[in-house]
Amino acid sequence: MKRKYLITVMRILAPVLAIVLSAFISSIVILAIGKSPWQVFYTIFRFSLSRLDSVAIILYNATPLIFSGLAVSLGFRMGLFNIGVEGQYLIGAFFAALAGFTLKGLPAVIHLPLVILCGALGGMLWSFIPIYLKVKRGVHEVISTIMLNYISYSLIHYLIADVFMDRTQKLLDGLGSMLARTPKLPPSALMPKLHGLLGLFGIELPRHVYLNWFFPLGLLMAGLTYYLLMYTPFGFELRAVGQNQEAARTAGIKPERVYMVGFLLSGAVAGLVGLSDLLSYFGYMDLDFPRNYGFDGIAVALIGQNNPFGIIVSAMLFGFLKRGAEGIQTLLNVPMDTIVILQAVMIMSIVVITKVMNDYIKRLEKKEDVRVCSSQNSSLQV
Amino acid sequence: MDKAVVLRGITKRFPGIVANDGITLEIEKGEVHAIVGENGAGKSTLMKILAGIYQPDEGEIYIFGKRERITSPGRAIELKIGMVHQHFMLVNRFTVLENIILGAEKRAGMVIDEQKCRKVIGELLSLYNFSLDPDARVEEISVGQAQRVEILKVLYRGADILVLDEPTAVLAPQEVKELFANLRRLKEEGKTIIFISHKLDEVLEIADRITVLRRGRVVGTVVPSRVTKEELARMMVGKPVFMKLEKTPVPAGDVLLSVKDLVVRENTGKPAVNGVSLEIRGGEIYGIAGIEGNGQKELAEAIIGLRKTSSGQVTICGRTATGLSIREIRDLGVAFIPEDRHRQGLVLPMKVWENMILGYHRKKEFLKKPSLNLKTAREFTEKRVKEYSVRLSSIDQSIDGLSGGNQQKVILGRELSRDPRVIIASQPTRGLDVGAAEFVHEELLKKREEGKAILLISADLEEVLSLSDRVGVMYNGRITAEFRPEEVTPEDVGVYMLGGGVKAGEGA
Repeated sequence: MKRKYLITVMRILAPVLAIVLSAFISSIVILAIGKSPWQVFYTIFRFSLSRLDSVAIILYNATPLIFSGLAVSLGFRMGLFNIGVEGQYLIGAFFAALAGFTLKGLPAVIHLPLVILCGALGGMLWSFIPIYLKVKRGVHEVISTIMLNYISYSLIHYLIADVFMDRTQKLLDGLGSMLARTPKLPPSALMPKLHGLLGLFGIELPRHVYLNWFFPLGLLMAGLTYYLLMYTPFGFELRAVGQNQEAARTAGIKPERVYMVGFLLSGAVAGLVGLSDLLSYFGYMDLDFPRNYGFDGIAVALIGQNNPFGIIVSAMLFGFLKRGAEGIQTLLNVPMDTIVILQAVMIMSIVVITKVMNDYIKRLEKKEDVRVCSSQNSSLQV
Repeated sequence: MDKAVVLRGITKRFPGIVANDGITLEIEKGEVHAIVGENGAGKSTLMKILAGIYQPDEGEIYIFGKRERITSPGRAIELKIGMVHQHFMLVNRFTVLENIILGAEKRAGMVIDEQKCRKVIGELLSLYNFSLDPDARVEEISVGQAQRVEILKVLYRGADILVLDEPTAVLAPQEVKELFANLRRLKEEGKTIIFISHKLDEVLEIADRITVLRRGRVVGTVVPSRVTKEELARMMVGKPVFMKLEKTPVPAGDVLLSVKDLVVRENTGKPAVNGVSLEIRGGEIYGIAGIEGNGQKELAEAIIGLRKTSSGQVTICGRTATGLSIREIRDLGVAFIPEDRHRQGLVLPMKVWENMILGYHRKKEFLKKPSLNLKTAREFTEKRVKEYSVRLSSIDQSIDGLSGGNQQKVILGRELSRDPRVIIASQPTRGLDVGAAEFVHEELLKKREEGKAILLISADLEEVLSLSDRVGVMYNGRITAEFRPEEVTPEDVGVYMLGGGVKAGEGA
């Protein structure tokens, strides 16, 4: 019992240790560019946490990463590496945009859910290709999803700049050129901000904050994912396949079916990643639509140790760092790349530290088992 | 003259089992010393200790008269002990020469001095009469040649003591001859050879002395000229004491499992099971004896649906099972105790109760609308844990932490408590200590009395003979003989296990 307690403590301690270690290494980087690490870290914290609107921005930053981390973790849990969340969310966002600007005159209660559903559908569709290839043809999902990411970049570019480009944009006479973007989505397809709800609690947020209902939706999704994994028969199968495919098969579970359903679910969640940006900040999809949420999701899932609640925490950590980066850039003239380095170092330290700690825990357990067993044997002989 | 290797009181424990129990052994310089024993007798553990892969819990090791601690494989090489593994550790795309020098390259400054390496290897080849082309790629040479590369690897590193782990397991008969010629030549040059095997003919041919292990202990050391194969077999298997198991007569029921002309192919297309037919009635244990790798595993996996069958038919409780999914076959009332519980039986990181319902988690009693019914699952587990006296601290514990015997009890609890009509038990007591093994035996006999049909596959001849009502011997994918256990001695069965009785030749 005491050992179990120790293990839990170590599990929680690992990411904390990794953060400390990476802060230390980043300090060296900051010193190297002639700034004071203390001042930089202090500014990150003060800038990010001293004002409510700043905190709201952190939550807004974290929103897509929660979905992305969950999508990646679903893959990890069944032993698959879904690197394709990147492409899946872009396709998902496009599907949502398409449903947004083509359907007109629907009330918001129908239009918005439909748009969100289309986002999930788009992500699912894009994840179907790699998992079909894997299950039927043995194509490794890492290769196929990476390739599909590139295809999705180009495809989205083509769809936005060519097929569905909004050619009705009103330009001022002789000024500028048309943006390569889709038509704007009608208000019925947009996600309301959280301002109204927070206002009820006396929290007033300025207009430039785009925190919206996708954030609570992300929290809900994390809860649902946890429920799915830990409480449903399918989640049980998914974990069994992820941890010992052979034993799962022997028990009568069909790993191929689990892979198929699980990966499609992962794709569906991935399809929601871009919607917070699309349906509250942009209102249309253009060539500058944010990228890399899919790759960041891998890091988020890794740091969150594939636990849905861990993923919420690590997504917020990333949101916090992003906000802090803006702070040190404007206030201290420290390049934003410092934060990128900090993130990278953090991911590496967490991988190393959890590995070392897990090995240590394993060794502890083995020793204990041998001790218990040999004492049992000798007591039998007596 | 100093002894090459002296082991005193070597003991090595693993969770739930003592693999080596006070082994004392002396190996003379320049002899071929064979170590024989059944699977699980502790041969491999002992050799891994000698090779520095495992550390003994107790005991002393003397190498050429000096007490040593072999702390790592690197240290073993320093002590001139070279291990030739059963499974080759070669880089296929590299040449023979590159493989031999890999990790021990002779250098000239920063670069490999290939000429020097080539010279040293050339000398070794001619000294020991090895026929081998140093520039051939490993992927293009035969298995026998690859083994010679492995031997050269350790000679190149200066080994004086060569440990060969089941070296003939992968060789064709003529390659075995060649290997033995090589070994004799090595002996003439003063090398000490430790030869691990369970093939008695070969051991009698090549060894100067033979040490027999059984259940982690030394049974004795003998000289081949003064012992017969039968005597050796008896030392290995133990006295044919039929375990004192109460076997009440059970009236034979209907045929519950029937296998007809079953052919199962390996991935290579070679038939692993080659036309097996058998029928098992309710209340009957049908034992399959045989040296591992003769198709037993494939037979079991084909019946449960894990492997595709090429032809033939499996009928379970009167219904055709061929072509059904594993779940469908299980639903016909088949319980399966797989031979490798870590790989096939359990999901190790998962909790005890999760493993207890694995595969049955979609049964009505474990479901509550969209989710699992954790309450009934836990109750079910608690009940089985009590019934099978599984020792654990909590059913929420990862099953990783249980001893082998307790893990096996969890599998039994899961598979047997659902009133199956057919039970397929593959090596059900492998790696278990005596107490746990006895428990498994009693469970199987209980099920027999309840009128189940049981297929028992085991490499442990004693186990097969004392539990079964009928015994079939499997050799080369066929059932070559069938007995009633009371009519035969282990030696009789042994002859068939080694491929005798049918047609001699073609080594096992």
